Amino acid sequence: MPDLQLQHYLAVGAIMFVIGMIGFMTRRNLIVMFLCTELMFQGVAINLIAFGRYHNNYAGQAFVIFVLVIAAAEASLALGLVVLLFRQKNTLDADAWRELKG
Amino acid sequence: MDHLFAVQYSILIPLLPLIAACVSGFFGARYLRERSHWPIWIGVGASAILSFILLFGMLGHHNEAQLLPNASDATAHAEAGDAADGHWALSTTKVWYEWIGAGDPAKMGIAAPDTPSYFRAYAGAFFDPLSVMMLCIVTGIGFLITVFSKGYMAGEEGYFRFFAFLGLFIFAMTILVMGENLVMLYLGWEGVGLCSYLLIGYYYNRPSAAAAAKKAFIVNRIGDFGFGIGIMLTFLIFGTVSYFGGDPTHPVGFLTKAASADFISHLQPWQYKCVQWIPFCLMLGAFGKSAQFPLYVWLPDAMEGPTPVSALIHAATMVTAGVYMIARCSALFYGNAAATQTVAAIGCATALFAAIIAMRQFDLKKVFAYSTVSQLGYMFVAVGVLAPVAGAFHLLTHAFFKALLFLASGVVMHAMAGELDMRKMSGLKRVLPITHWCMLLGCAALSGFPFVSGFFSKDEIVGAAMHRLPALGILLLITSGLTAYYTFRLYFRVFQGPLVVPDEAAPAFAHGHEPHEDATASDSAVKTDTSPASGVDVGQTTHAPAHHADDHGHDEHHSHEPPSMIIPLIVLAIGAVIAGYINWPSNTLGRFLGQSPSYILGNQVAVAAGLPKVDAENFGLEPSHVEWGGLVMGGIVSILGIGIAWILHLRDRGLAAKLAQRLGPIAGLVENKFYVDEIYHALLVVPLWMIGKATDVIDWLVDQTVDLVGLAPRAAGVSLKRTIQRGYLQGYATAMLFGITVILLILFLW
Repeated sequence: MPDLQLQHYLAVGAIMFVIGMIGFMTRRNLIVMFLCTELMFQGVAINLIAFGRYHNNYAGQAFVIFVLVIAAAEASLALGLVVLLFRQKNTLDADAWRELKG
Repeated sequence: MDHLFAVQYSILIPLLPLIAACVSGFFGARYLRERSHWPIWIGVGASAILSFILLFGMLGHHNEAQLLPNASDATAHAEAGDAADGHWALSTTKVWYEWIGAGDPAKMGIAAPDTPSYFRAYAGAFFDPLSVMMLCIVTGIGFLITVFSKGYMAGEEGYFRFFAFLGLFIFAMTILVMGENLVMLYLGWEGVGLCSYLLIGYYYNRPSAAAAAKKAFIVNRIGDFGFGIGIMLTFLIFGTVSYFGGDPTHPVGFLTKAASADFISHLQPWQYKCVQWIPFCLMLGAFGKSAQFPLYVWLPDAMEGPTPVSALIHAATMVTAGVYMIARCSALFYGNAAATQTVAAIGCATALFAAIIAMRQFDLKKVFAYSTVSQLGYMFVAVGVLAPVAGAFHLLTHAFFKALLFLASGVVMHAMAGELDMRKMSGLKRVLPITHWCMLLGCAALSGFPFVSGFFSKDEIVGAAMHRLPALGILLLITSGLTAYYTFRLYFRVFQGPLVVPDEAAPAFAHGHEPHEDATASDSAVKTDTSPASGVDVGQTTHAPAHHADDHGHDEHHSHEPPSMIIPLIVLAIGAVIAGYINWPSNTLGRFLGQSPSYILGNQVAVAAGLPKVDAENFGLEPSHVEWGGLVMGGIVSILGIGIAWILHLRDRGLAAKLAQRLGPIAGLVENKFYVDEIYHALLVVPLWMIGKATDVIDWLVDQTVDLVGLAPRAAGVSLKRTIQRGYLQGYATAMLFGITVILLILFLW
């Protein structure tokens, strides 16, 4: 088994990001879409950590800590919103809110 | 001269009325209200006192000068080169401060160039007999009219506004006559134009008044355009706008230069052409301001303003500004035979034309308005036939008697509840006795009745015209006869004959002389007075409704001749009778005016230019002798005119109507003022209006095109909204992804 190289980590990050992106674009369920955005976050976070390790500094990890904290705060907010939206229409379908287009 | 008290404080003459106007204008509406006339009375009165102090101070010096052997010392002075230093026998320049100094090399840090012709205008006054005479007329008569206005305007809405404008007018007019250069003159010129506009439009909610105000302003603008060009050309050629210099930087003014043969002979050919054209440009301004032939149409309409305004601005002072300007700049005009002939010809044509129109007008003020136009024509003839003394003399007497006539018709209007149609009134001497006497004296002066002021001044003009060109004199003599006729036509109709009062004013006169009695009694008492003998014109009086908006609040039955209105009237009446003796038989005014550098240089220029029949008497440079022949002739013509008026309008009023019927179309033509307004409307107003309409259409087209261009992005936006912004979250995400991909591709692959 060859050593884990930088590109392996980057590949994992990219795959996670793309999975998240495809999920976001294909699914209608608000909670699933939200999960997909989290997946994209983590893909980017892996990239940051991989580069941090590669360059031998902690800047990447520090960034990731920040991203995680903010993602946690944002997750609580977004889930609250989803709950509120669900209460309005009794559905989690994103298309139910098309009228917000203005 | 310089040490005179009034010269030292001369800035107060324009300043006090201005301050008074500000006080009335700013504090009148809330605090002064019906006391708003006080600041103006004080301001204008003080300014009048200063002007008279100045006059008497100057007369003192004049008498000193007279002690010298003075056969032609004035001309000798001028020729000896005293003029070049700005030291004239009886004049002085008082510079207050530098007003405009454009391109001053000293201020710009450049060494003085060889040609120091940068533009410089001083705020300063030039005092000579001419300007001091004008100052006394403006402030003196102005003061009398402000006194009159207190009674006349009492209870009007916007009382303070009226007095504020009046003060502003006196300010502008004093600036006009005392300014030491053309730019000061122009400032005053436009200032009086503005006040004229504001005061004609005093009853601004009356459409006819608003239209008349606009007309006066626009017609004057045509003249002022020429005037402005004249001033610019003056600066271009002479390098200064000061009349006679007198300030340190411009020791020589443009009039002194124009009178110097040396200067004129060194001009380039194009500059010489300009010098020839300057008088014509200035003349255009004078024709506008003084209501001469092509541009006279605004003055009759200006009667929409309150009557004191008509008396002060549109008869006594402002409209004479053109005459003053030509007399002042005579050194420019008199070197140019064509210019003097044009002035004289236009003046004579206007005098005759306006007199003919006045014969068939029925509105009191309209008659006097056309008479003013006509009398101004006389003054223009006077300055045009190289007799500026006669012009100034007539200006002086005219100021008295025309102000008197207007104020008297103001009293009539006041008593008749705003009615001015002479067909609806008659025999008013019974209800307005004092006004009747004042009016009679004024009419006598205007018609040139022997030994009343107008007689002497008009005769002097006719004599001077006769001397230069007999045809001109004869035309003026005929005009004198017409003047006497129309003046006394008005007098006989309104003041003589059986008592007839218009319906609206009737209650106040129901009991003859006692308006204080119970006035609710019906107007039957008046109707019984409407005897059939009163003739055809008067017959229509009984049920004609009044359209005049001047309702002077006759609910309180005060006297019809309140003292504040009657006292100025009496003073002016005395002036109208005796003003003629200022210059007759001893030629005092002429000798005084002859000390003015304008007159001295004017004569010098006319002689140098080789104009025929230049008479130093007419410039006040030599004592003139009484010409009895002309006086007798003028008197006969005047009495003849009065006699015809008596036959047609008092002895048998039916005859006048029959005569008018016989003349038919001609009478109609005259009554409609020769359709000049209609011709102007068809030839000027309508085409201009059409051009305006056409440009409006073009403007609309341009606007629409611009709007169309604006429509394109709007349409693009709408179509994008329909296609892209659909509300699908996935769609937005795809668009974002696509956008980011494109940006990245551009960044990395470019």
